[in-house]
Parts: sequence; structure tokens; C-alpha cells
Amino acid sequence: MPKMDDAQKAAKINSLQEELTALIGAVRTETDSKKKRKLIAKIGDYNRQIDTMKSGKLLSRETKRDLVAYSFIAPNFIGFCVFTLIPIVFAFALAFMKWDGSNPIQWAGIGNFTRLTDDIFFRAALKNTIIYCIGTVPLTMIASLALAIILNQKVVGRGIFRTLSFFPYVASLVAITAVWKMLFHPSKGPINNILLNVLKVPQKSLPQWFTGGLVLLSMILFSVWKYMGYYMVIYLAGLQGISGELYEAASLDGANTWQKFRYITWPQLSSTTFFVVVMLTINCFKVYDIAIMLAGGGSGELTTSATVLVYYIYQKAFIDWDLGYSSAVAMVLFIMVLVVTIIQFRGQAKRERA
Amino acid sequence: MKKKFLSVLLATAMLGTLLTGCGDDSSKNNGGNDTSTTPAESTPKPEDNGPSADNNGDENSSEPVTLKWAIWDQETTAYWKDIKEAYEASHEGVTIEMVDLGSTDYMTVLATELSGDGSDFDVVTIKDVPGYATLVQKNAIIPLDDYISADGVDLSKYAGATDQVLVDGKLYELPFRNDFWVLFYNKDLFDAAGVPYPTNDMTFEEYDALARQLTDTTFGSQIYGAHYHTWRSAVQLFGVLDGEHTILDGEYSAFKPYYEMVLGQEADGVCRTYADLKTEGLHYSAAFSGGDVAMLNMGSWFIATMITNLQTGEYDSSLCGNWGIVKYPHAEGVEAGSTLGTITGLAVTSATDTPDAAWEFVKWVSGEEGAAVMASSGNFPAIMTDEVKDLITGLEGFPTDDASREALSVSNLYLEVPYAPNVSEINSVLDSYHGSIMAGEMSIDEGIEAMNTEVGKILAQ
Repeated sequence: MPKMDDAQKAAKINSLQEELTALIGAVRTETDSKKKRKLIAKIGDYNRQIDTMKSGKLLSRETKRDLVAYSFIAPNFIGFCVFTLIPIVFAFALAFMKWDGSNPIQWAGIGNFTRLTDDIFFRAALKNTIIYCIGTVPLTMIASLALAIILNQKVVGRGIFRTLSFFPYVASLVAITAVWKMLFHPSKGPINNILLNVLKVPQKSLPQWFTGGLVLLSMILFSVWKYMGYYMVIYLAGLQGISGELYEAASLDGANTWQKFRYITWPQLSSTTFFVVVMLTINCFKVYDIAIMLAGGGSGELTTSATVLVYYIYQKAFIDWDLGYSSAVAMVLFIMVLVVTIIQFRGQAKRERA
Repeated sequence: MKKKFLSVLLATAMLGTLLTGCGDDSSKNNGGNDTSTTPAESTPKPEDNGPSADNNGDENSSEPVTLKWAIWDQETTAYWKDIKEAYEASHEGVTIEMVDLGSTDYMTVLATELSGDGSDFDVVTIKDVPGYATLVQKNAIIPLDDYISADGVDLSKYAGATDQVLVDGKLYELPFRNDFWVLFYNKDLFDAAGVPYPTNDMTFEEYDALARQLTDTTFGSQIYGAHYHTWRSAVQLFGVLDGEHTILDGEYSAFKPYYEMVLGQEADGVCRTYADLKTEGLHYSAAFSGGDVAMLNMGSWFIATMITNLQTGEYDSSLCGNWGIVKYPHAEGVEAGSTLGTITGLAVTSATDTPDAAWEFVKWVSGEEGAAVMASSGNFPAIMTDEVKDLITGLEGFPTDDASREALSVSNLYLEVPYAPNVSEINSVLDSYHGSIMAGEMSIDEGIEAMNTEVGKILAQ
């Protein structure tokens, strides 16, 4: 900034001040709210300029405050950039390339995406992931809400039951899949033994829980059981946020239990439910560990009846070293999650406005 | 609305974490669990062995060289250390630095290590052929042909194994270990049933009948006539032993009779079902050492495991101490002794600064000197000579009958996975449908049809 003498400075400040007054007048008469907001932002700019001029310092107070704030954000944000943001952007680009990690990257255009349509393993993975989500999300939500409502009552041993329902979530996934595999073992497990001996199911038609069409059912059941405790806690917090007066008023009006739930609990919980559903959906699309542990056997390989998108992404990327194609699959997953989440956000916004 | 959209984006950014999924085992067709029987005996003296004298490398005695070597399971596999010590003793100025990458996903980790720049490995061990194919395509390892012709290495010593891993006529690895599949059997169970032992010349019909004879399905005291591990090789690859089919054909109807045999055995309780094995994750060694399995088809690496674990008492010798091996069964009209093989090789990386010194090491380990070191711990070197065979059969704990000794002579060796550019993808497809057939998700015909279509697509690319 070239050095100015005091007179020049004063003149400049004055002219700025005049423009500012004019602007303030304009804001008063402006009716369009969008334009009004723009003008107000401009007023802020002028104020800052005048302040800087008056104090004669290089950085205004606001800029300084911003810099301090950014410096606090920086450590986390730099880490996020290096380890998450840049890889994600790179993955977007890779989806249109052909690369094996060593040789030069080649442009593939939409070739990776056209390959997807003809890929039987991708189709199986997509189908399984969607079925898993459709099964898991509502079931987990209903189960955790029911648990939360029951354990929100004043029942004896409430603490113990709350702990018990939360326990599967805390326990190590690997350890509890081992237990589930023993329980559902096709020929030695207690579940099939009960089916065989008590319910007299013939041995030939005993369910094979970890293969064929049943493997997805096993995965859904397992996932509901494991994660319902966690979402129960979130719902409990939501339930405790509902004012008791509402229920009292409803009782006075003669509302029955169902009506209380339908017209008080459910609407009051809508933001909790929204959070639960978004988190559940995202987690379901990411499923991988449960499939590997329940259906992978010793070698951790999944057949078409149990393969899921994330496993296929891993397989294509790090076993076949087809990084471009695997990124294309990852894009499909990304878009699916994005679309589902946007729809949910839209729905939530509409409900809030209503 | 803008902020909302941003938060949606951020929420989906959580997906980023999934791109860093954790690794899982993909390379399974190998003997990664070998242990040695005896500690390193003595380092072989170079003058004992004729042709490949190692005084032709001028560079290896002049200035000190350190070679970084990628291996797996250093703690449980004794031969790595034996080789390192023997080589350092006979080559002054050379230090071998071993880096253990773990056995479960060795080839995946190695491929990641060798991706891009910055790798400082000089020599890498090649665990399986799909991984080899990956490394060759990534230009991570160099062709050895110039060295081979310059040093006059005689490839015929490897009994054709090297021909099956040629890439466009070039060889990128030299095998130092060569395992082949045999039939292990529990003599006590045969004695108890009063059935004669299996022989070195059995057709599949005879084998099937024998397995059924031994089977006892009484609840509580089951005896399984046979056992098939969940690997594809253990069932499907009976079909390539005729030498007319390979897994690269794209036409797999030859596998059908063997799937029928094994699934028929499952249905009659002759062997444990695939679904059970998958659920339990039961290891073949646990199955055989449990004393209720009469016959097990498995690779020769299991010999060293059996000997060691019986000696240390880890396996109960009253259950499986009386064991023997015979040659693989064969189809009608096929020569006895045709079997599957798996080679473990060494390769020189393209990133190395000292390719000549690395090649010297590769040549030495794959040569006669390395073979002697391998055999001294009960492992099968790639060069099978009569001395090597005597060394292994002479080990304490090796079955003493003549048939077991005879079982070590192989007439035709077919690699479980021969080389092809897209062998990794073909392998994945076959593995997946093998699982589907064995688990009963698909009928045999449907599964084979699916293999044909899907591998056909890969081959057409």
C-alpha cells in the first residue's frame, strides 16, 4: 500500500463514509431479501475498510481473529486433506482412468462404468448390499426404538437391561461372529439341533445359515442384534428430551397409549429418527466386516451370494490391482449414499417447515 | 440449503474411510505354515556341489553389499534363516536383511510395497502365481533371461516348472521350493477297519471305493474316509491331472466328475461338508491330526508340519502318529504320479541398486546349494535330486514304508495356477464359483456354466 499523508487519508475515509451512508439508506428501502442481505454484507466490508484506514495497521482486527481461528482448525484440516480429501478427489479422477499402481496412468473415459453393467460380481454385490440395507435399516430402527421405549419405563432392573442391550455393541465383532457361527453351525449348532429334534425338521432340509439365500438373512439378523443397543441409547436420549407435560395433557384429554405414541412420542422424536436413519444407512452401505466374518470362512473369500460392494472394491483394488475399475465401483457406492442422504435431508427439511 | 448440501457432502465423505479397508487373505494356495524339523545342520560347503560354482561373481567379494529380502513367517519357518546364514558364510561381504511381511496376505502387501517409487527391496520371494503375474505387470520385477544365459543356468533341472511361469517367453523368477500334492493317510484307521492301505497306483474309482469302505457314520464315533480342504485346488484340480485341461482354458466341464464324486461323498457322510468347514474355519491339519480322517489330499509342505508337530507333541501321536503318504489318485488311462504342484520362487526387483548381487543370491538359493539347505529341514527344493530325496526320506519321523518313499517321485507336475496375464481375475472367478458349487448354492452344471461364461469374458478382453 503506498504511503498516504493524513489529509489524503481523511479524505478517503470521508468518501468511504459517504458511500456507507448511502448504502445504509439503500438497505432501508430495499424489499428483496436476497439483495438486502448482499447490501448488508457490503456495509460490513465498508466498515472494515474504514477501521483499517483509521487504525493504520496492516491487518484489521477481524482478519486477525480469522487467522487465529484458522490456525486452530489447521492441524485437523491438514490431516483431513492429506488422508481423506485428496484421496477422495483422486479416487474420483481414477474412476475414469486405468491404473495398476505402477505403470503410467491411462485415460479410460467411461470405460470403467460400461464394464460395470456387464459384471456379474458387481451386480451381485450391488444387489446384496441393497437387500442388506433394506432389511437392516428399518429393522434396527424399530428394534432400537421399541427397546428404548420399554427401557424408558420405570421397570425393576432397568439399568441391567440397558447394559445388556448395549453389550453386543461393545463386544468385539470377531469374537461374537465366532459365537454366532457356533450357534448357527449347520450340523452341530444348537439352533439347527432344536429345529431337528424339537420341531422335527428333516435333516436334509435344515437351513444352511451361512450359504445361499440365507446368508443375507443371517447378516441382517446379526447386524440388527449387534447395533440396536447403540441406537437404543440415542433414542433413550431423545425420549428423555420430551417434556412430561405433553403426556400429562394428553392423558387429561383421554388419549390412549397408542395415541400418545402416535401424536407425541413419534413427532417429538423425528429429529432423532432422522439422525438414526442417516447413520444406519451410511453404515449399512459400508458393510464388509460382517460379511467377511460370517460368510468368508477361513480364506475370507465371498461367493456371489454374500459379496458386498466394499469387499468388491477391495478385491478389485488390492488383489487384481485394477484401481480405476475399483474406484468406479466406489463412485457407485458414493452416489448411492449421496442420493439416499439427500432424499432424507429433503424430507427432514420439509417436515421441519410443516 | 447450501450449508445443508455441504453437510450432506461431509456425511458422505465418511465413506472415504471405506477406501482404506483392511486386508484379507487372497493368496491361499501355498504352504505358508511350514516348520522345519531340525535346526540348521551345517552350512553346505561350496565345493560339494559341481556345476554352479559361485566364484564367477566378481562383485560379491569385493565390496560389502546388503540385500533386502522379502519373506513371510520368519519365526515359524526355519529355512529362511538357514539360507541367510549359509549364504553369508559362503559369500564374504554380503549381508542379507530379511523383512517379514506375514503370510496371510503376503503377495498383497508385497505388491503394495513395490508400487510406485521408494521401494528398497532387492530380492523378493514369490509366493503364488497370481501374485507373480501382478508383479510382472506392474514391472516391479525384472526378467532373468540374460543372467540365466550368461551364467549358463540349466533350467531343465526344474523339471518343466519354469516353463509354466514364462511371461511372453521371459522368466521373471527362479523357483527354490517346489511342493506337490500327495495323499496322506492314517494307517491306524485302515488297520482298525481291516482295509488294505492305499497304493501308489490308484484310480479315482478305487480311491472313492476305499474312502467309502473306511467311513463310519455312527454318531459320536464318526470316521471320515476322506477330507477335502476348502481350497479350490483340493477338489477342482483333480480335473487338470490328465494334462489335457488347465484352469486357463475357459472350458471347465472336465471338473464335473470330481465335483460329483466329492459332493456324493459329502451326501453319504464320507467327508465333512464344505458348509461345515467354511463355518468352522477348520484347518486341514486340525482335521487330519484329530484322528478321524482316513485320507487327506494335501501338499507336500504338510510332511514337514506332521514330522515337527508329532515330535513336539503338538499332535497326539496316538491319533495320527502312524501315518503314510501315497501318490495322488489318477484318472483311468493317466500315468500314476501325475500331481499338482506349487512353486515358490525368488525374483529380483526393478528397484534394486545391485541387480548383479541380487541375481547371485537368487541363483545360489535356487541352485544345488540352496536345495541342500532346504532339504535339511524337510522342505522340498525345486531341484529334486536323488540325494535330496534321500535326505528327506531319511529324516526322523518320515514314514518308513517303501510306498511313502516311492510316493515322492512325481511323473507329471501341473502347477495349480500356471501363468497367464489375467490369471488373478480367472483365479477369483473360479474360487467364487467353486464356493457356490460346494456350498450347494448352485448345481454343478450351473456352476461350471457360470465359470465358462465369466472366464470367457475375461479371456475375450
